[in-house]
Amino acid sequence: MPSDALAYRLRPRLTPVRACLTLGLAVLALALVELDIRTGIGDGLAALMAPGYAAETLVVHFAWWPRLAMALLAGGGLALAGVLMQQVLRNPLAAPTTLGVASGANLALMAATLLTPGLLGLGREWVALAGGGGAMALVFALAWRRGLAPVVVVLGGLVINLYFGALSMVLLLFHQEELKGLLIWGAGSLAQNGWQDAAFLAPRLALGALAALWLRRPLAVLELDEAGARSLGVSLRHLRLAGLGLAVFLTGCVVSVVGIIGFIGLAAPNIVRLAGSRRLGARLLWSTLLGALLLATTDLLLQRFSGALPTLIPTGATTAALGAPLLLWLLPRLRLSGEALPREARAIARRHPAPGHLAAWLALGLVGLGVVALLAGQTATGWHWATPDDGTLLQWRLPRLLAAAGCGVMLAIAGTLIQRLTGNPMASPELLGISGGSAIALMGALFLLPAPDNLTLVGAGTLGALASLAVLVGLNRGSGLQPERLLLTGVAITALFDAVRAVVLAGGDPRGQQVIAWLSGSTYYVDLTSALTVGGATLLLALAAAPLSRWLDILPLGGASATALGLPLARARLLLLLLVALLTAGATLVVGPLSFVGLLAPHLARLLGFSRAGFHLLGAALCGALLMVLADWLGRQWLFPEEIPAGLVASLLGGAYFLWGLRRL
Amino acid sequence: MESLLLNPRRARPWLAGLFAMLATITTQAAAPRLATLDWTLAETLVALEAPPLAVAQVEAYHAWVDKPALPATTIDLGLRSQPNLELLASLAPERILISPMFANLVPRLERIAPVESLALYRPGRDTWMEMRELTQSLGDLVGRPEAAERLIDKTEARLETLRGRLDGAAPALVMVQFMDSRHVRVFGDNGLFQAVLDRLGLDNAWSGPTNAWGFSLVGIEALVGLEARLVVVEPYPAGVRDALTEGSLWGHLVEASEGAPIVLPPVWSFGALPSAARFAELLVGALEADDAV
Repeated sequence: MPSDALAYRLRPRLTPVRACLTLGLAVLALALVELDIRTGIGDGLAALMAPGYAAETLVVHFAWWPRLAMALLAGGGLALAGVLMQQVLRNPLAAPTTLGVASGANLALMAATLLTPGLLGLGREWVALAGGGGAMALVFALAWRRGLAPVVVVLGGLVINLYFGALSMVLLLFHQEELKGLLIWGAGSLAQNGWQDAAFLAPRLALGALAALWLRRPLAVLELDEAGARSLGVSLRHLRLAGLGLAVFLTGCVVSVVGIIGFIGLAAPNIVRLAGSRRLGARLLWSTLLGALLLATTDLLLQRFSGALPTLIPTGATTAALGAPLLLWLLPRLRLSGEALPREARAIARRHPAPGHLAAWLALGLVGLGVVALLAGQTATGWHWATPDDGTLLQWRLPRLLAAAGCGVMLAIAGTLIQRLTGNPMASPELLGISGGSAIALMGALFLLPAPDNLTLVGAGTLGALASLAVLVGLNRGSGLQPERLLLTGVAITALFDAVRAVVLAGGDPRGQQVIAWLSGSTYYVDLTSALTVGGATLLLALAAAPLSRWLDILPLGGASATALGLPLARARLLLLLLVALLTAGATLVVGPLSFVGLLAPHLARLLGFSRAGFHLLGAALCGALLMVLADWLGRQWLFPEEIPAGLVASLLGGAYFLWGLRRL
Repeated sequence: MESLLLNPRRARPWLAGLFAMLATITTQAAAPRLATLDWTLAETLVALEAPPLAVAQVEAYHAWVDKPALPATTIDLGLRSQPNLELLASLAPERILISPMFANLVPRLERIAPVESLALYRPGRDTWMEMRELTQSLGDLVGRPEAAERLIDKTEARLETLRGRLDGAAPALVMVQFMDSRHVRVFGDNGLFQAVLDRLGLDNAWSGPTNAWGFSLVGIEALVGLEARLVVVEPYPAGVRDALTEGSLWGHLVEASEGAPIVLPPVWSFGALPSAARFAELLVGALEADDAV
């Protein structure tokens, strides 16, 4: 045993107990130091109960203590919700916000602010809760007939998230001034103005925790496969409803009070599981504790160090910014079991009898739409049909048409590749973090340089995309580019991007409007040169993707089967990943990172009946191009002279069709 | 009736027509056909009586800048960050005015008309001097340098009068605008409000750092301990006024404020001379009002 003990001492293993203990001590120490600086420890502890009369004790009573309590409550609640979500959906990428709670709450708050401000007088929490509940109800309604099967729930949630997110973006784009306060909420600030919010949250979370305790045995059944669970006589649908409902309730309560706090609900359960907790009961307990302590530590550190900055750094965004590197660091060190990923994804739609004909019709539709988009449009005096030789108008329209179609194709192909590569229907080019990386670099350039021109912006974006790719490959080469790890790495980079965006927007800088406009995926900034470049790149990369369709037919069967069929697994993955990175970077630089075509187009193609990899690629490319061209044209005419970015319209159009398709299943 | 005249959006069609006629008559003289994306430039142009032909987000301008109002004939260009290029090209303006914030649009806009970029609130520069220079450059651009001088003189003289009306015993002020019930923008160095306070000889109690636009976003607790009178610039975001109950930190801040908090109607906090004059007028009016009580 001595040698074991020695090894043990040399390399202490990360266990949930150790992690919580370390963080707990850190919180205690930070809190005591903070109190000592502010009022002295004795007065500070006394201020917990009574405000006192000095300015310092007032702040401690009305702001500091409630804030600490809120951090612990919110962190614990989100982590608990995260475990429940991941358990029921059997997907390590599931987070408390997967079912659209946060985006529903966000949209409800924005709509109420603009349309019925009186409602907010009743209390912001209630409006947010109603919005979150509404989003959840929609997802459940969509997935009800399929017995709330995880894949359908996840897809439904994803689309609701995109849909509500796109709607909120449109509102934000046109009403930035009115909605600036909500941007702070969206970034998750824990600043408090008294004990009211903590008093609202505490009893609700306690109720949720009790319910989770009561549900932990039945929910453990969900680790079995579907047939096994059924044979135990459990109603899967009701069990899932209970588990998801509880998670959504917890998330809704937290989100409605403190806003969107990123990453805790995703990271805490994953860290606990990676650190060796297997049983559901243990994971519930340790994740909750770890989540609470993670958020409290982050927030205390933030309060200590952010005082000198001229802007507020919201905690929710910071957790993501700190959590992302943490997850990146943990990934290569910890074992990851691949069996939790959903496998039913492929059986989601029927196969079309003649995909070739279908593709021809789509191509014909694309040409027709292109002609309409070029010639029809509004001017100051009303609708106007241009003639094909009207150079003054076409010089504006042609580049946008080309760029929209090109980006649609590129993102759709990238999405198809990544979804087949990982076998995960939630995978999209955005999730790999490549667009996130380039977006971070672009925001940096917009804010740090005095007057950046477009070439500088494109350069910065390219650098960011390359850096993301380097991180992605560098961290995962050791594991043979295992899909789960790739996605988690991408999620971490994307979380970092969300954090930067939230901080940038919450600060209220007028330049934020430009960031919003660019992020929403517009062809506005394209000129003829860049449009032709995009078109050329699209052709080249599409041709490069075509011969890979055999790999793509085999890869979703899983790593073992693929190797057995003679596929050079590691090389195939690297090659596909590179291709995805190139496609994504190319499209992102033109239309921004949030167009969602990469997620929607492959699913659309599948719903239409394109099933084998070759036709799936073709179908997705055509769907992507159609969607983007239509979106670009509609976006320019709908609210003329104001333009809705193509990416947003594409999410709205594609999402609507997608919801209809899900309902039909 | 007066509000009807001042607010062209609510005016009846015949009134709008009258405005249109007046606008064409007054601008016919010399003013070039200008388009601008920036509200601060737009408000200054209106004050110079050379209103621009087209402005971005006209409706939002009237909600946030309000006065001086744009003529009813002003054409809406769409979003400030993404003005409608087809529309702009069809209007054939002689010149397009922007602020450096929109620099990345220049290559596109230059295909339509020469672009002029005019800066305000550059860090390290005296904001009031910048406003004067901005007004002068705009005066030169529209061929009305004498109108620019008039506007500067008028504004400075007005602020001098207002300064004289204050008895000098006013407490330091801390100017905030609510973002939600827990966060405020507090205005300080390098901003419009600070520049006005300086001209009026008033002290700003907020000495903390501010961003390039002259404000800092802080939680309410950052205001505790400032020995100052609170000035709240409207609008309150929806629902916030009700959420500011007693028994909260804000309640204690109101108690500790040196004099009842002043609530001012909305002023465009990134504006130029017209907004500055308006803010000074409102602030001094409010300070005097409770001296009278």
